[in-house]
Amino acid sequence: MELFHILILIGSFVFLLFLGVPICFCIGIATVTTMLMSIDTGPALTTVAQRMATGLDSFALLAIPFFILSGQLMNRGGIARRLIDFAKALVGMFPGGLAFVHIMAAMMFGSISGSAVASSAAIGGFMIPQMKKEGYDLDYSAAVNITSATTGLIIPPSNILIVYSLASGGVSIGALFVAGYFPGILIGLSLMVVAGMIARRKKYPVAQRIKLSEGLLRFLDAIPSLFLIILVIGGIVAGYFTATEASAIAVLYTFILSVLIYREVKWKEIPKILVDTSATTAIVMLLIGTSMGMSWIMSYENIPQTVSTALMAISNNQVFILLIINLVLLMVGTFMDMTPAVLIFTPIFLPVVMQLGVDPIHFGIIMVLNLSIGLCTPPVGSVLFIGCGIAGTSIARVIRPLLPLFIAMLVSLLLVTFIPTISLFLPRFFGY
Amino acid sequence: MIERTKRAIDRFLELALIVLMGANVINVLWQVFTRFVLKEPSSFTEELARYLLIWVGLLGASYAAGKKMHLAIDVVLQTLKKKKKIWAETGIQIFIFLFAFFVMVVGGLRLVTITLSLNQISAALRIKLGYVYLVLPLSGMLIMFYAVVFVIEKFRALSGKRVEAEAVAVESQEGI
Repeated sequence: MELFHILILIGSFVFLLFLGVPICFCIGIATVTTMLMSIDTGPALTTVAQRMATGLDSFALLAIPFFILSGQLMNRGGIARRLIDFAKALVGMFPGGLAFVHIMAAMMFGSISGSAVASSAAIGGFMIPQMKKEGYDLDYSAAVNITSATTGLIIPPSNILIVYSLASGGVSIGALFVAGYFPGILIGLSLMVVAGMIARRKKYPVAQRIKLSEGLLRFLDAIPSLFLIILVIGGIVAGYFTATEASAIAVLYTFILSVLIYREVKWKEIPKILVDTSATTAIVMLLIGTSMGMSWIMSYENIPQTVSTALMAISNNQVFILLIINLVLLMVGTFMDMTPAVLIFTPIFLPVVMQLGVDPIHFGIIMVLNLSIGLCTPPVGSVLFIGCGIAGTSIARVIRPLLPLFIAMLVSLLLVTFIPTISLFLPRFFGY
Repeated sequence: MIERTKRAIDRFLELALIVLMGANVINVLWQVFTRFVLKEPSSFTEELARYLLIWVGLLGASYAAGKKMHLAIDVVLQTLKKKKKIWAETGIQIFIFLFAFFVMVVGGLRLVTITLSLNQISAALRIKLGYVYLVLPLSGMLIMFYAVVFVIEKFRALSGKRVEAEAVAVESQEGI
């Protein structure tokens, strides 16, 4: 009987998903349909409605809209340009330097914003035209943009790690944030290794040798932007304020920088920025709300236990189970966006891996890193779409140059999966 | 007529979202200010922040539905021929309509009446929790309205009386 309910839940969800119903509604409808099998109509409808509202009743979640808002404010010039200038001073002297600069700038932008789309648009808008001018292959530039933008999801602050914290039932956001530094840097470095090999083969030029004094000047110019890292992450780690308060301070800080000092965002743009932020927020919030309903019915039907028993029956080898989960997530990631994937699969997989002794902080990083590869893969990948859009190229053409960069990301994923210290060193160091 | 109503509702929602979101930023900054500068943490800011988030999240959800911004997987949909595609899109809107009606409006109104009759009152702001949940049926009705509008637009296009350009460019959004 229970199995029948599970089949209804999965079957209706998959049917609606491939019909093209928005994922938040797929989750909601599948949940209600399953509930109606065992609960009276009135209470079933009320329960889902209540989970939708109470699922959002969380102060921690508020960090998401605020980080989106501060990302929107730094998206439009100023901050991104200064970070790129600084990155040129740091890594511009390598052969194929602009690709290095692009990756470096994306990592720095990622460390002050929590979104890969924002990073792809802000950095790509400056870098792709420059790379084109210096004779880089356009599709290759787009591929570099797309893959490097995902580092922003793992290097804190990261909105998706806040979602994971919620889905996992309250893993510390601060711990997840600091856990993301080394894995994020690892991906950046592995992308740079590939970029270096490609540059040697295609004989791409050195971007620019910069005098030390000039480099210092650019560093000074980038300090106000980089100071945000210390303010936000430092503040959270030191325990001065919560992630949500830090995100509100990030809004204030980027507002002062972009609107009042650099004047690259006009006052009259603010209402539109607020509407865009709210709409983007709402997409995530409705997903969270309906997922809360689904996780209720999943635990009501004992689904996590069923999956866990099934997986353990195959093997109780940690390495093997983690490999299987990674494969499943990689497949899911090719067609599903990150937020719904985290919300749906965390409650299913986390209990399994915890039984095998995997730290929930470590698993969060594995999951986000894994799914961020999916953001760059067709048929559905939001960063892939944005990157191709900015470069003005097509998905079909960008696939070839993406392949070697994917390999770099996959290698990083394997390293992060099987060497927990990469993720756990910093959280342990800061005493989480 | 329908287009005019839709535009008016869009405007109303935009205004509401600007106010709610702006107010929430100021609210949380006030919380930090009272704790660090006045050394007397405000008692209501955290609760207000949560309730404002529920409103932004759910009202924004109807706005996003009106702009077709909710993440969907349209791989199959894109392969369909013109007529079949319109039927599939109509089906999608019917599902959205049903969910909004049964869960958000019916379930939401039940939730509102139950919490009001139990007289549940919030800890800090002393407001009735039922009013906070009112956003559910409100947003549900707006989502239903948008679903109807989309279906009407599709069938107008099909009957060929008036081929309208897509009302809004569907933005591909990562969400976060």
